Order: sequence, then structure tokens, then C-alpha cells
Amino acid sequence: MFRTVSQRYPTGFRLVATVVLCAVALAITFVLTPLDDSKLAGGAAMSIVILGLSWLIGWSGQVSLGNAGFMAIGAYTTAIWANHHTTSPIIWSLFLSTVLGGVSGFVLALPATRLRGPYLAGMTLAFSFAVAPLAIDSRSLTGGSGGLFINFLNSPSWFANLFSGSDALVKANAQWPADVAIVVAAVAFFFMANLFRSRTGRALRLVRDNEVAAELVGVNLQRTRTLAFVISAAYAGLGGSMMTLLSGSVTPQTYGLTLSILLLTLMVLGGIGTLSGAVIGGLIYSYSDNIVSIVNKVTGVNPTSTFGANLKGIVFGVLLILTMMLAPRGLVGLGSYLRRLVRR
Amino acid sequence: MGTFLASRVMTDIFGGLATGAVVALIALSLVIIWQSTHVLNFAQGAMGMFATFVGMNLVFHGLNYWLCLLLSVVTGMVLGGVTERVLIRPLYGKPEINPIVVMIGFLGVIEAVIASIWTTNITMLPSPFSQIYYQSAGHTILVSPFIFYEVALVAIVVIAIALLFRRTNLGLQMRAAALAPEVSRLLGVRVGRLLTLGWILSTGVGTLAAVVVSTGQVLAPTNMDGIFVSAFIAAAVGGLESPLGAIIAGLAIGLTEQFILDFWSTSIAPLSGVIVLVIGLSLRPQGLFTKHVSRRV
Amino acid sequence: MIRVENLSVSYGAVAALRDVTFEAPTGKITTVIGANGAGKTTLLRTISGLVKPRQGSIRLGEFELIGTATEEIARRGVGHVPEGRGVIEELTVEENLRLGALASKVDLAEGIARQFAQFPALESRRRNYAATLSGGERQMLAMARALIARPSVLLLDEPSLGLAPQVTADMMRTISELCASEDLTVILVEQNAKSALRIAHDAVVLHLGRVAAFGTAAEIAADESLRRYYLGVVT
Repeated sequence: MFRTVSQRYPTGFRLVATVVLCAVALAITFVLTPLDDSKLAGGAAMSIVILGLSWLIGWSGQVSLGNAGFMAIGAYTTAIWANHHTTSPIIWSLFLSTVLGGVSGFVLALPATRLRGPYLAGMTLAFSFAVAPLAIDSRSLTGGSGGLFINFLNSPSWFANLFSGSDALVKANAQWPADVAIVVAAVAFFFMANLFRSRTGRALRLVRDNEVAAELVGVNLQRTRTLAFVISAAYAGLGGSMMTLLSGSVTPQTYGLTLSILLLTLMVLGGIGTLSGAVIGGLIYSYSDNIVSIVNKVTGVNPTSTFGANLKGIVFGVLLILTMMLAPRGLVGLGSYLRRLVRR
Repeated sequence: MGTFLASRVMTDIFGGLATGAVVALIALSLVIIWQSTHVLNFAQGAMGMFATFVGMNLVFHGLNYWLCLLLSVVTGMVLGGVTERVLIRPLYGKPEINPIVVMIGFLGVIEAVIASIWTTNITMLPSPFSQIYYQSAGHTILVSPFIFYEVALVAIVVIAIALLFRRTNLGLQMRAAALAPEVSRLLGVRVGRLLTLGWILSTGVGTLAAVVVSTGQVLAPTNMDGIFVSAFIAAAVGGLESPLGAIIAGLAIGLTEQFILDFWSTSIAPLSGVIVLVIGLSLRPQGLFTKHVSRRV
Repeated sequence: MIRVENLSVSYGAVAALRDVTFEAPTGKITTVIGANGAGKTTLLRTISGLVKPRQGSIRLGEFELIGTATEEIARRGVGHVPEGRGVIEELTVEENLRLGALASKVDLAEGIARQFAQFPALESRRRNYAATLSGGERQMLAMARALIARPSVLLLDEPSLGLAPQVTADMMRTISELCASEDLTVILVEQNAKSALRIAHDAVVLHLGRVAAFGTAAEIAADESLRRYYLGVVT
């Protein structure tokens, strides 16, 4: 059996591993162009949400299509808070969004965790559909269909001072959000890595594989499922908050069914239930436009035609279906398969 | 009489039942697929819309409405059969999230394909029946010939399906294949074909609903999204196993949403479905119309 | 006639049947006996195509059954009353019977009438759901449902399971009569070796997936040393 590093070593190792990987990622942002930095920032934010979804689907077997809705809650929380407390540090925005994401997850979990498979997926789908109209209608709070705008995440002076040259500020302002996103993602991944190995993580796997057996060994099904759902929603809230901070705006149209499908696609492509799968999913998100333009080039589809405009949806939908049918463990599964092949 | 029929409550009842009838039809189509293959078809609405685009777009090129309707339904049936064979059949025996995820992916693909083939036509799909509301003693009653057509169509389809399943040998074999696939095979029932037939039938019904929903509307890929969610809620509250439950719940949801829309707020209407689902399933997690099934280890 | 040759079946690494060979002639009852886990049910399920064997051959007359789909095997005249009887509880007695006849060319009304004549207890309950039937009635329904298609082969998996001794005796007598009157090839899997050997012509004793003995029922019943295989007792 192939065992991951985090399985063999305790929390201390995971902390060191997280810090090292985070430092490497930060170092890379110094080398990349401002454009790549901003792409990476989006990917880091998205990987947090994907990780939360991956935990819910991979570890507890509950399929949620509502995580885009929880992202919206985090995204709006951040925008509203930042507009009322312009000087408050972003850590408060992130914290509040995570908590509110989790709380709304809890409210939805009350009925949701009693439901199984298709019932749960359908209910969260209904939630996904309900969020945008609700946001549009609560105009005084959310700014209606136009959404809300906040100040961009500009780099502090100490960070800007690290750069020199004529485009120092441009580079610093592009890289700072990426670095913030990477650090936030690192914290989220560290927490999840520990959760995977915790009692809760093991209990959740047991609940997924055999409910009756789990009950027999004293696992509270309802509480375990609810916890999984709440954590997943909190991660979505955090990711949504990060998205608002990065884009400087939030609009209701962003957080619809399409995003839920995209989240699911990225998670499945990366590899369900794994940390590295969530990272891969985030990276695919970062470079999804590049992937689509490659498909454009190969197939010769004019990107400005109606077909070209919808190519992204088709490509990712087809990828999701193919992955699920042919390699349900995603790229991570493919990776370990190839590794085994080489060793032989 | 005119005042009564045009009163706010009666208006809402008419409107709610008209929507509810279509919701019930889609819910019924979901139950047919669920019973045959234990897959909840998340792409049902989108598949119906795709078939509607194929068939009903020809109305704009001068083809007869009824011919186009027939063409749409046939397209939907073919699409359903092919989907079962290609996407669903390989997944039998896999974890239940696999078909869910695949059908969600398919939903995304179809909506994108529709949007990329047909540039949104701003002309409304003409209705074969007048959509002008009746008048009674100077009051407008929210009932039109089109609504009668809609309700009658739903009633005919529901009765036809009930007769098929209850009264014919084919229906008996379809029920048996769904209830006990292995025993059915031992009795020489060609179960695989019947499962495909279940999908064909279901997507045919779903397409009929999509055509009705789109009549008098602009054809758009997302026409079915909202009503599909309502239909899913109806099917779930009814218990996914019970066609009658799906129909009753469908009508009830149409009415509930209409009343909330009218007496409360427009934006809360989508959420009201979630609330109905939560309450309904809190009372009976297996649905209101199914016998309790115990879970096995 | 069913001819099984060198049949081996495994579930993953576990061998369920190893090199099983025997013949079940037309117009006779061949009983398959053995302790729990000897592979009796697996044998019937392999004949019906529900289990794919690793190797071997199963012939119905000249026709090779291996590789043929279960429903097509049934349509070729192999009736199978599975373990637990497989009565569909959500359907009525008559619907269960109709289901059995639909895949064959038998006239529906005539077929049902014939089965009601054979099993009169079912007629009064024709409109009842099968869920309401007693164990004995369920066994009758399962048999009637298999027989209505006029099969040439009848596979019976533990028909006596859960039945009272008197009901079992009646059931065995019916099986014996049917075998003679319809010229059936009957393969009867039984835990209750005593009653099975009483009506059978030939017997196969399975032990841990192998044929421990194959001979006439009288020979097997007389062989004291075989008892430990099918009774599960070491003497």
C-alpha cells in the first residue's frame, strides 16, 4: 500500500511540511509574472473551497451542490464587513466569513444530514438556486444585482519595499494578494490534514462505508455528518471571502449552479478526498482559460463564436463525465497508478 | 360568481395548479427513471430543453406546432435511451455518487451545448391556444385556453402512464424489472431493454413538459432550471418511489409557491421550495408516500 | 438434459466450485446435496448464467449455456426457482404468474388456468399481493410461476426451507409428479437430504465445491460414509 507522508508522521511533521511547502509557493510567486500571480491567487482561494467539498464528498459520501451558495455567504460577509469597517484587518473578514459560512452550513445541515445521496444533492441544488435571487432582492444589504465593491487588496509598504525598479508597485500589488491567498490556503490545508487523521476523520469514513457498523461502535451518525457539513461550508465561506478580497467585488450571478458544477469538476479532476487533489483542482482553475484556449487551438474553434464562448462549459463537463467514468480517483489516482507502474 | 373567480385566492389557486401540473409531470418523469435505474436524473430538465430546441425551433421556420412537438418528444426519447446506454449502464453497481456526479456534468454539458448551437432567439414560441385570460362579469380570471390545454395534456399523459404500468404486460414487466431485476431475468424478462425503455419514456415525458413550459416563452437553455428544482422537491417529498406521491406533491408545490409569490415576496419563492422539502423530509425522510424501508448492513 | 462438465467457479480468490462434472437426465430428478457452503446455490446460479464460471461447460441438449445471458437461458426453457423463492411481494399472485408466462409463447389465460388446477390454493388468492402469502403458498407460487412457461428444465433451490414437515412432504410429492407428467429435467438443491433422496433418481454430493459422490439416489442414501458430507456430521 502506498502511504502518504502525513499518514506516517504526526502533527509536528505536518506543520513543518506545511511551512516548507508554503514557503516554496511564496518563493515561486516572486519569480512569476503579475498575471500568473493573480491566476495563482484565484487558484489558491478556489483550492480551499475544493478541499472543503472534497472532505464532504470524499470522506463522508455526502454530495453537496450547495457549496457555491456558502461561498456566496462568505463573499458577501467580507464585502459588507469591509465596507463598514474599511480599516479593519482582513483577518477579521476571513474569520467572520468562515464562521458565517459554517453557521449557515449548520442550519442547512439540520435537515440535510438526515438525507441520503440523491435527496441531499437535490436539496443542496435547490439551495444553490435560491441564493442568487435572495441576494438580488435584499438590495439594501447586498447591492442587488449590481453587487458590492470593496477596496483592492493593495500591498503594505514593507512588502512593496521588497521590490525595486519602475514597475515595483505593480508587481507588489499583484503578488501580495497571491501571497495572502497562499498563506490562508496553507492554514486551511494544515487544519484539514490533521482532520483527515483525526478521530472525526476516521469516524466519518466509517459512517460513509457502513452506517450500521459505525453506530455499533458508538459513532453518533447525525453529529458526525453535521460536523462534516459545517466544516465544508466554513471552507466554502473562507474561499468565498478570499474571492471577494481578490476581485474587489461580489456579484450574485457568480455564485450559481455553474460554479457548483465547476467546483465538483475541479474536485473530481484533482482526486476526491485528497489534499493534493484539491491543490491540483485549484491549479486547474488558475489555468482553466489556458486549457480552453489550447482546446480552441487544437480544434480550430473560433473563440469569439457562440460555440467558442461556451467551450469552457462543454470541456469541463465532458472532463467531469470522463473522469468519473474512466478514472474516478482523478489525477491523484492516475499519479499513484503510474508510480506503481514505474516501480514494477 | 365573476368576483369570486377573480378573487386573489382563486387566482392563486388557478395559477398554482397550472404550474403545479407541469411540476407534477416532471416529478413523475423523475420517478420513472428512479424506479427503473435508481438514478436521480439531474440533467432531466436540460435534456428536455435540448429536445425542445431541436423540435420547436422549426416552428420559427414555418413548421406546424404539433409536428414540432412530436419531433421534440421523439428527440428527447432518443436522447434518453442513448444516455442510459452510454452514461448510466457502465455505472451500475458503482457508489451512488458516481451517477449523480456524471448526470450533473451532463447537465453542464447540455446547457453549454444548447447555448453554443442556438443563439438566443428573442421571439416567443407561439402557443397553439390563446393565452388571453377569460373574463367573467367584467373580472379577469387567470384561466386561458392555453392553461386548459396545459392541464389536459398533463392529465392525458399521467393517465396514459398509469394505464401502461398498471394494465399492460409491458408495464408489468417494467415494474418487475425495477422491483426485482434478478428474479425478472430468471423469468426471461429482458431487464436491460426495459431499463432503457424506462429512460426513453421518462425523457419523453420530460420533453413534453419542457415544450409546455417553453410555449409562449422565449426559448432559453435555462428555461427548465427553476421548475426542475421544484419537480425534484416534489419527487423527493413524494418519496421518489411513488408516482402518485410525486403528482400530489407537484400540485401542492405549485400552489405553495404561487401563494408565497403573491402574498410574500418574489425572491423568497425559490427558497420556499427548500423550506417545503425540509419540512416534508423532516416528517418522513423517505418521503411522504413511501412505505418505510429499513436499511441493511 | 443438462450436462455439466469440468465446471470451476471462483469468487475472487475463493474457489466455489472445482471441476464439477455430472449429468441430469430428462424426466428424472437429480438432487444436489451437501453442507452449507458446498457450492450448491452457486451451481444453480451458474447454470442460469447469473455467475460467470472460470472454466467448464454446461449444455442444455446440444446448446452451450455458458456465455448466454440469464434471460435468454430462461427463454430456452430453464425455469429457476431461486433461494428464498423470489416471489415479488409488491405484485399480486396473478401478476407474478403473468410475469412468468410473458417471456414464453404460452397462452396467458390457459397457462394461468393450468397452474391454478395444479395449485388450487393459489386461485382463491389470485388478487392478493404476494406479500400476504404463507411460506407454503409462496413456494407454490414460485413453482407455478416457473412452470407456467412450460420449461424443459426446472432448477429448485431449497424448496423445503422454512416449511413445516407436512408441507415439505406435499411439496416433494408434487415435484415428483410434475417431473413425470411434464417430462422435466429437475435439479433439486436441498439441505434436507433425506426428503430429497427419497424422491430423486440421481444424486450429486458436493463437498467444498467438489463432487464427493455421484450416483443413483438409492446408492448414495445407502452409503454410510457419505453422510458426513451432506449431513455435515463426522461419524
